[in-house]
Amino acid sequence: MSEYGLRIGSAEIGSAGPIAFGPDGILFLADNEAAKVFAVDVADPGQKSEAEPFDLENVDERVGSFLGCEAADVIVRDMAVHPSSHNVYLSVQRGRGDAGQSVLVRIDRVDGSVSHVALNEVPVAVVTIADAPAEDDERLDITLPQGDEGEELEIRGRTIRILRRPIRTSTVTDMAYVDGSLLVAGLSNEEFSSKLRRIPFPFTDDVVDNSLEIFHVSHGKWETAAPIRTFVPYDGGRSILASYTCTPVVHFPLSDMKPGTKTVGRTVAELGAMNQPLDMVSFVQDGEEHLLVANSRHGLVKIACRDIDAQEPLTEPQKPVGVPRETEDLQGITCLANLSEGHVLALQVDGDRRHLRTLKTASL
Amino acid sequence: MAEVSWSRWGIEECLRFRDLAPGSVVHVRPGASFDPNLPPMAGQLLHDRDEVCFVPRFPFVEGTAYGVVVDGVATTVIVRPRADLPATAEVVDVHPTGDTVPRNLLRFYVAFSAPMGEGCAAEHVGLFDCSGNEMVGALLATDHELWDGHRRRLTVLLDPARIKRGIVGHLEASYPLREGTAFTLVIEQGFHDAHGTPLRTRYERRYEVGADQRGRVDPDRWGLSVAPAHTGDPLQVGFDRPLDFGLLGRCLFVKGPDGGRVEGSPEIGHSERSWRFQPATPWAPGPHRLVVNPILEDVAGNSVDRVFDRDLTRSEDDPRPAGAVARTFQPR
Repeated sequence: MSEYGLRIGSAEIGSAGPIAFGPDGILFLADNEAAKVFAVDVADPGQKSEAEPFDLENVDERVGSFLGCEAADVIVRDMAVHPSSHNVYLSVQRGRGDAGQSVLVRIDRVDGSVSHVALNEVPVAVVTIADAPAEDDERLDITLPQGDEGEELEIRGRTIRILRRPIRTSTVTDMAYVDGSLLVAGLSNEEFSSKLRRIPFPFTDDVVDNSLEIFHVSHGKWETAAPIRTFVPYDGGRSILASYTCTPVVHFPLSDMKPGTKTVGRTVAELGAMNQPLDMVSFVQDGEEHLLVANSRHGLVKIACRDIDAQEPLTEPQKPVGVPRETEDLQGITCLANLSEGHVLALQVDGDRRHLRTLKTASL
Repeated sequence: MAEVSWSRWGIEECLRFRDLAPGSVVHVRPGASFDPNLPPMAGQLLHDRDEVCFVPRFPFVEGTAYGVVVDGVATTVIVRPRADLPATAEVVDVHPTGDTVPRNLLRFYVAFSAPMGEGCAAEHVGLFDCSGNEMVGALLATDHELWDGHRRRLTVLLDPARIKRGIVGHLEASYPLREGTAFTLVIEQGFHDAHGTPLRTRYERRYEVGADQRGRVDPDRWGLSVAPAHTGDPLQVGFDRPLDFGLLGRCLFVKGPDGGRVEGSPEIGHSERSWRFQPATPWAPGPHRLVVNPILEDVAGNSVDRVFDRDLTRSEDDPRPAGAVARTFQPR
């Protein structure tokens, strides 16, 4: 691991954040409390294997039992699948408030057993997000939360729940690794605070960052402050598709992003107001790339990337809403990860329980 | 049957077993279902003389029941008690420290003597008018409280929607404060510290409400009292209005003739109307700069760059071009 600059050390994290796998089974973990991203050799014990479909009931209860807490005290912040063993990694906050503790757990895809991934005395590298919002920055980031966090509001006759949090907690909202770069979306300390950062890996200080501006169809205005909630590399990593709260999907070509400039995205779809995008993956079906968007209000949304490429930028309020989309009858999905060419792993809420389900892409 | 109780193994919290048969397999799970399909709680069994301790990998959660299974037999359910500690935390400071605040005051800072728990502020921090009635809706209701990294300083915002003229909150309910009246900021004793223990005592602070504070913060209006060169006397800066305590702590610094930062000790004066800087070594002769980060605000949220609540008809309130601001001075 020394070729990636990893040295024995600690990656103890203050707040569990997004996770993503990089080269050779190295896992990236974001800690928004410390405004840092760690790269950790997780020493996955699994064998290299084909990605068989994998389902596991009551994941939160199982993880809670292992961690010694109630299922309600297991808050899953992100999910990633190990690229060769296909074991499942969950970024978990155990408990709330002062008793809260960040934990990385591994679920063995062969027997469903739960284990704890050590983050002390392990090969690790770290990069600090230099322009993160300060701890006492009072600006608030508004999201539509899962579960019972936040406060209820009635908007146009519909009751929704919103959560206001200091923008520091959205320093990193999602990450993906592409060809020697870690792409990091989130907020910065600047006035135009929505940011996409490209951090070289092995980590160096040559971070390329861009402020982002998008046309928000359901809000009917250009926006620079709200962060990307989730994104996926696209077109072989030459661009990204990103989604925002209330729910535009926006295309950003990375090649057009000159360092330090403000980049204007091409809004290609509007998936509805009062809706929070939760996760995205892309997959190939019949030789063509498709996008899946898990979201808080509708079933899983599927979009053909061919339509995205042909879509003129949306710049008018409310309508048109852009590319055609299919809404699957799959509700409650909060996390997605590619398991294999033919399968996507989903974390699905059903009542007060959460389960891991494998979705066959051919039947989506 | 083994006897089970809460105990310690060294500094670690544990479950202690008496009369446990050698080689017994112990599984602990949260909840009282004894479901063998759920993984047991991570931890290890450690011997302490002739007793055995289950030391968990992750701490027990107060108020949670744990089911204990020994050699496949459900043995007991034991509830982790909540801590019953003496009250020691208290409010040690509140800013602004002046007796009078502007009607468009934006925030208070409340400093505590110990790390505090989250989720108490909405219920236990309030403003009361001179008749003792709570001023409902004066403070911003937010689920996510604004704490510093050590959870010792809480920022309490008055509702900005009621301060900014022309938006719905202001039009419907007007300012949270009324000029010419007095009010009291109260932190109730029920505010919990990080251990869940209430404060030693309730805290109150009374303020008079003055006129609005408008216009950008202009460092050119500050009075500088400059010390002679080759002395260690402080630089004294008097402001034309009270400035924000939290930002004052990190928005002012001094650069010397060589352009390098001058080391020393800053101190914020009473009512946040002044600032003094004691250099670590005597002042060098030559031009110095008092550098002002333009995010510095007054107590109403007006910064060097922009006003908080902008009247579009007042061109003097237009945002200032971006860039650092400095006052030049020369030790005599």
